[in-house]
Amino acid sequence: MSYLNPLRLHFYGSFQAAVSTVNNDPTHFDNATFKPVYQQRQSGQNANGWWNPRGDANWRMIGCDITSASLADGKPAPSTDPVLTCSIADSDRNVAAKLVDLDPAQQGVSEIWGMEIRIANQHGHTLMRGKYKVAPFIDLFERVFNGGPGDSMGCAMYQSVLTDIEWGNIGDSPFLQALREASSNGLLSIKFNVDAFDDDFTSPTFTLGRVAGTIGPAAGDEPRHFILGRHLMATAGPGQGFFIPAGNLNFCQAQVDQAAGKIYLDLGNSLCTQKPGGPFQNLGPMMLVCETSDAAGNPEYLPIAAVDYLANGWYKKTAGVAVLPETRRLTKDELNTIARNPLAILLTPSSGPQAVPAISEPSSGLYIRADQFVFRLNPGESADVDLYATQFGAPLPAARVINFLDDTQIGGGPPVGVPETALDFPRTLVLDQSGRALLKITAADPGNPRQYIDGQVYGIRCALEDTLAPPLAYPFDPNELVSLLVFDKFTPDQPITWYGSLQPIFQQYANLYPIMSRFVDLSDYNSVVANRRMLSVAFGLDFGDPNYMPVTRDLSGDKRKAILDWLKNPLDGTPPPTLASPAPPAKANGSADVSNDLPGRGGKAAFYSRLKTRRKGAL
Amino acid sequence: MIVLNRQLLDEIDQPGGLEKALQKAIELEHATLPPYLYSYYSLGADNYAAGSPNAEIANIILSVIKEEMLHFAIACNILNAIGGAPCIDKPDFIPVYPGPLPGGVESNLVVHLKRFSREHDHDTFMVIEEPETPLHFPVQALLAEKPVTIGQYYTKIRKKIEELGQSIFTGKPSLQVTGGSFPASELFPILTVADAVKGIDIIKEQGEGTSTSPLDPDGKLNLQDTFAHYYRFAEIYYGKALQAVPNLPPGTPPDQRYRYDGPPIPFDESKVLPVIDDPSESGYPPNTAAHYLNDNFNYAYTSLLKALHRAFNGHPEHLGPAIHLMHSLRELALEMMTSTTLPDGRNPGPSFEYQPVNPGR
Repeated sequence: MSYLNPLRLHFYGSFQAAVSTVNNDPTHFDNATFKPVYQQRQSGQNANGWWNPRGDANWRMIGCDITSASLADGKPAPSTDPVLTCSIADSDRNVAAKLVDLDPAQQGVSEIWGMEIRIANQHGHTLMRGKYKVAPFIDLFERVFNGGPGDSMGCAMYQSVLTDIEWGNIGDSPFLQALREASSNGLLSIKFNVDAFDDDFTSPTFTLGRVAGTIGPAAGDEPRHFILGRHLMATAGPGQGFFIPAGNLNFCQAQVDQAAGKIYLDLGNSLCTQKPGGPFQNLGPMMLVCETSDAAGNPEYLPIAAVDYLANGWYKKTAGVAVLPETRRLTKDELNTIARNPLAILLTPSSGPQAVPAISEPSSGLYIRADQFVFRLNPGESADVDLYATQFGAPLPAARVINFLDDTQIGGGPPVGVPETALDFPRTLVLDQSGRALLKITAADPGNPRQYIDGQVYGIRCALEDTLAPPLAYPFDPNELVSLLVFDKFTPDQPITWYGSLQPIFQQYANLYPIMSRFVDLSDYNSVVANRRMLSVAFGLDFGDPNYMPVTRDLSGDKRKAILDWLKNPLDGTPPPTLASPAPPAKANGSADVSNDLPGRGGKAAFYSRLKTRRKGAL
Repeated sequence: MIVLNRQLLDEIDQPGGLEKALQKAIELEHATLPPYLYSYYSLGADNYAAGSPNAEIANIILSVIKEEMLHFAIACNILNAIGGAPCIDKPDFIPVYPGPLPGGVESNLVVHLKRFSREHDHDTFMVIEEPETPLHFPVQALLAEKPVTIGQYYTKIRKKIEELGQSIFTGKPSLQVTGGSFPASELFPILTVADAVKGIDIIKEQGEGTSTSPLDPDGKLNLQDTFAHYYRFAEIYYGKALQAVPNLPPGTPPDQRYRYDGPPIPFDESKVLPVIDDPSESGYPPNTAAHYLNDNFNYAYTSLLKALHRAFNGHPEHLGPAIHLMHSLRELALEMMTSTTLPDGRNPGPSFEYQPVNPGR
């Protein structure tokens, strides 16, 4: 059970992601070539620090109304249920959550840290409060086709669980009482789509975007970050920047409810819009079908239901979740067919009468996925990656899994994924009887391969052996990659001194996060010492605290310990003689690299542009 | 001088009056913060670092702000100690600006949220902090009458606590909040009459000084060697630090022992951010950057009150998040005061209003 079930609520509103953009360019990590203009906003053809160098990484949920709710029997909550006048809000007793990239070479899995989610009534009273288990976005795609450059054209989704649930006074809401009843394990499932992010710093809605999401119960034994159900696979179309689904529909997931005779299909992160935040593109009539074949092997489609995705206000009210068929139950025969055959979505384009499959499950229905898929490891630490495999949504027991390094989704700056010896993990695994396996990845010291950026970034892909047969055409989701940042081992001087060990570390943060200068000049020994009490608190907080420093969470355990030790006795040491000499000229950043599509170049769009260019270059 | 309604003093003697008086004191301590913070923020981040043009002024205002927060915390601890419960999370906890301070204030003082100026410092900050018997350096005629001041109010609270004695200290010790960034000598558990008396004396003497010295005279409170708030704000107004006159003959009257003739406290008005006076939520039209920024600020400010309410109502561990929220307010205010302009060319500032949801429109 997850958010994709009858008992759920939908919400719709805005999010804020006030990220800093100085660190989006890997070369800006190099203290030796850093220029003060990288802390300025982009100007004309000068990229400088892109569009938001003063960003503070704050993430907020703003004005998110609960737009609909339905009960366990699938019926809408009565219009008198007060939940329909409530909103989804973030914490009202701590600072804002933070949006954090894994690394400048992996900007496609930004996680939200330290977020609390509340259901609040109109007076702000909390009816439910829970902690969002840290999770990254996934399946970022170009929601506005040919919309031009910039992050406003993209859309992605977050799926996680809420833990440590507290309930307020919900006595007059049958819906919330039912939700509480269904979450006796202390968990709720949450999924939301983010799009229309405004990266234009001249706009009043700068750093705001649109969010539409769903909250429902979460089964304790199911994955936290995806549906143990049906997964429809898009294929990549041509184009720069974000992933463009060839069939016009992005990756999506569905759940078959045998008891209710319904399919819950989540198209929230699949449909494209006419403009950022605008209505959906009219792709023609849409039909969910089950794909079978006749005796001669020709495809046949068992119609399940039409999807009325163009209905007025549909996205606002449903966050893109369709319950199909709407007016009847699936028969036993239909359910049997669906259990053994792929689901597909047919579109009938205006250009022709023929409905064509836009997206579908693979013909064999095999699917494997890592639940949590973003990790930060210090040398000697391990990541426990939970793998789940299914076939047409049912657990796939005893199959073999092949795990391999894959750097197609990471890169930028110095080479990534090397040395391979810094990661130890089994190249093959066998799933247990419930279709699960634990992939243990142990990190060793990568040995500072990137020099001016700490540690190294790796990608590991896990695939079912049966899907790797030549010609390697089995459809897969490139975003479903385990991403790891492995920190370098760091040994400070003894006793630890500012100039002997820490100045370059602090200098880098001072360069990349100019906002910090409002509190402390991190590049200056005296300023850091003057603020040591505040810094000791911030560096010493729990890693998941929204106020943890650094918010970017890219400081290794060794360096963190050295800083905390040093703050107790902040010796300055001897300045190196070269420190006063002028920095050598930076590489020609902001000239050759920048074209007239500047407004989006420092964000996710730029990252994927660079990634695609690099891959093309490699071919 | 802030003049309280004399009735407030009489109410302390009524049943439950001490609890009410302490709640009122908590509200009063808080009510000074938005005007101080607004002016402090308007000095801009560039003036917080040592050596920058208005750094001295910023430091002085910040030092007062921190002590007002300490006084707020002490008053909460005393209220908890006698079995009360501080009520911090409520819409009318925040006064309306411009307007009078809470507590039946009888004076004409209307407190504004204004960008920093020496006039504002003189006309508002010095008036708020003016002691019962201010020492005028240079001399100015003492007021003939002696109305009820905040200091007298605390004196009466202290007297009542001493009168009622240890038996009223029925609150759970676990409700006492300590730590944060306050030294243990200033923020400590209030468990006895003596603790409460010491706490009130800290409030009075940091805020007002004594009738004979702008300093804590005999060091018995272990306070840092700084002047009371009134005199610190006066230093800003006169543009010079207050310092002791050397080689005084015995018997020199108290108001001739110090002079505002120390190192200069410079003020460069051109460096103050050009923010508007008395902002309000309704004054920022929907779908403007100022509106969104103000919402974020007010939501964080309301969250701060909620975090404090929680900290002083059984979850002392929430003082940490409250302090983080306090720091984040500065960031949000500075962002608001520097990142956008209003149609009249000035910059917006935060309106300090109770907003328990972030409406975003």
